[in-house]
Amino acid sequence: MSRIFITGMGLISAIGDSVEENRISLQHGRSGIGDIQFYQTAHAGKLPSAEVKYSTEELNKKIFGRRNPTITRTSLLALHAAGEAIEDSGLTKEAIHSPDTALVGATTVGGMCLTDELYHDANAKGGGTPYLSSYDYASVTMAMQERFGISGEISTINTACSSSANSILYGARLIRHGFARRVIVGGAESLAKFTINGFNALNILSSKPCAPFDRDRSGLNLGEGAAFLVLEREEDLKGKKSYAILSGFGNKNDAYHPSSNSPEGLGPFLSMKEALESSGLNERDINYINAHGTGTENNDETESRAMIRLFEKVPPFSSTKSFTGHTLGAAGAVEAVYSILSLVHQELYPSLSFQNPIPETGLIPVLQFIKKPMQHIMSNSFGFGGNCSTLIFSKT
Amino acid sequence: MAYFHLPVCISPQNSFPEVDLYQIRESKNNLLEVMEPAYPGIPAAARRRMGKSVRMAVGAALPILEKFPQPDGIIIATANGGMEDCIKFLNQIVEYNEGLLTPANFVQSTSNAAASQIALVTKNHNYNITHVHRGLAFENALMDTMMLLKENKDAGYLLGSTDVISAYNYNIDRNAGCFRDELILNTHLFQSKAKGTIPGEGAFMVMMNNQKMGASAGLNSVKTIHSIDPLTILKTLEKFLSENFMPGEWPDLLLTGEDGDERLLPYIDIVESSMDKCVPVARFKHFCGDYCTASSFACWISMQIFETGTIPELLIKKRGATKPVRKILIYNNFRGAQHAFILVSAV
Repeated sequence: MSRIFITGMGLISAIGDSVEENRISLQHGRSGIGDIQFYQTAHAGKLPSAEVKYSTEELNKKIFGRRNPTITRTSLLALHAAGEAIEDSGLTKEAIHSPDTALVGATTVGGMCLTDELYHDANAKGGGTPYLSSYDYASVTMAMQERFGISGEISTINTACSSSANSILYGARLIRHGFARRVIVGGAESLAKFTINGFNALNILSSKPCAPFDRDRSGLNLGEGAAFLVLEREEDLKGKKSYAILSGFGNKNDAYHPSSNSPEGLGPFLSMKEALESSGLNERDINYINAHGTGTENNDETESRAMIRLFEKVPPFSSTKSFTGHTLGAAGAVEAVYSILSLVHQELYPSLSFQNPIPETGLIPVLQFIKKPMQHIMSNSFGFGGNCSTLIFSKT
Repeated sequence: MAYFHLPVCISPQNSFPEVDLYQIRESKNNLLEVMEPAYPGIPAAARRRMGKSVRMAVGAALPILEKFPQPDGIIIATANGGMEDCIKFLNQIVEYNEGLLTPANFVQSTSNAAASQIALVTKNHNYNITHVHRGLAFENALMDTMMLLKENKDAGYLLGSTDVISAYNYNIDRNAGCFRDELILNTHLFQSKAKGTIPGEGAFMVMMNNQKMGASAGLNSVKTIHSIDPLTILKTLEKFLSENFMPGEWPDLLLTGEDGDERLLPYIDIVESSMDKCVPVARFKHFCGDYCTASSFACWISMQIFETGTIPELLIKKRGATKPVRKILIYNNFRGAQHAFILVSAV
């Protein structure tokens, strides 16, 4: 079976609007979590969030050079990141338009970031707004299909917070089975009243910057952003630059509760185990884990328990959500890019705001930027509905 | 080839628990809504908490899970599953100005609610995914399952779809010009040329494995394309036919997603006219209405045709050679931009 290589990456988040800017912020411990400046919500100033530092109008200008009244912020973030990934991979126009090029997107709010417009349209309060076909999840992927002229297989996946980890593994499988020679995979999410109020109603949003794996953690911060990667087959590389190999993945369900992990983290354990098995690696081969690490009471303890159960000695791990907030449907892809950056540059980014370990598990994440030789990195994404996915990237 | 076993369909027609496709249930107020069964298998308390799309999905899955209690994965297609709860929550947000809200609707509103509920009630820890790509969500779920069955030859997967008409997606799509303005019955859907169709809904569940024995149908191939150019659709079809048929060989039936919207006719026409004149043509959307995962209803109808050996009269658009139907080519078109070809065959 041909190996799958990552040949392009694009990323926009609260800590930068390119892969390189994100790396610099990670190296310098600069978090993007703070007061909401652009999004209109009653919670601005009270619930710290990791907002992309551009207004929707500015994003429109960056991408289209003008206002585009039917494209949502989520789609704009997707277009920005995917554009960077495509350029980075050096794909020709012919390759992008070829039926051999597939696209797999992921999001959990889609166009529902436009709460007020959706309220108006869904309740039929007068004539329609320009966004009538822009609310669903597919609208984000469709905007990319139109913008880049994709004619191969296209899917959109929504498995809550593991969505874009699944878009990456689904894209890899499309290549393995000959449905595509190359795929553009990733996810996009923007802040939305829908998610801000939803997570707030569940009492899992922190009023402080999140502190993943800390004893006194008080919840997550929402973030927004998009990340896309270009995956290609080994035989098509022909000397082309590549960043890493997608060497394994797992997709399992915790089957415990709609909105929390089982106490022992069975789903996370099974997902990591399956990823290891599919990569043919041993647990000792993993040099670092980019943890799901949301900063909630439930996730960090159950994820810790799952890591302790799987690994004889838990490898260095951290949660980059302490920089980007939880970007939900984009998180798997955002953290895949960070994992690959860690491999390419042989460096680890810290978990911020950590002070004391969780007494029951005692695990301490990476606390500062360090250089370290590494071969294999694991990245976790777990979601509501028990959807757990794990990716493993290996050095080329 | 992958095989369909124990297909279950909850639809606006007589499809569950008893099947009768020789009568057609009429639409009401331009809607084709499902006849929901009593769902004796779902505990009442759980049933009350479930939104309609999840309830239909779980209700359709349970009879299959009785026979195959632990599938090796759950693959669900839904473009707007959870939309009803989603907008209920959104209405709370707006009407209470982001005040103190209850999270129940929020938790129920995620698209993966159906797949995760099925996993939860059966304690299934295996592969679990939800495809939501609008009019091609079901085709993606089919492709996912085909890949899984090549990866794990002895495995069996629960595959399904669920989508509902909610007051909300109805309002949005109506404003977008997707539906007929005039009052019309589904039985007259193809009699007048006009813009728009009538909305429908449904849930489909089936067990997929590599076992021909006892199967309801085989799944030969799936191809999807995004385009608004009828010639691109024709080229895609020609390639699909050449990959799946010998020269001079044709499907025994073409089953199209013609939906009464005149804007779709150029695509339907080009697909129909590319077939040999002996190929009969049937259509299904006057039975199930238009919804994102309606092609799953077409798959289910195909299995009924294989089982009974006849094409229900009410589906037929054009008669052709009277020979046994062994291979059915399904062509679905969702609002002119998303197209799919699915080839299924009798076992």
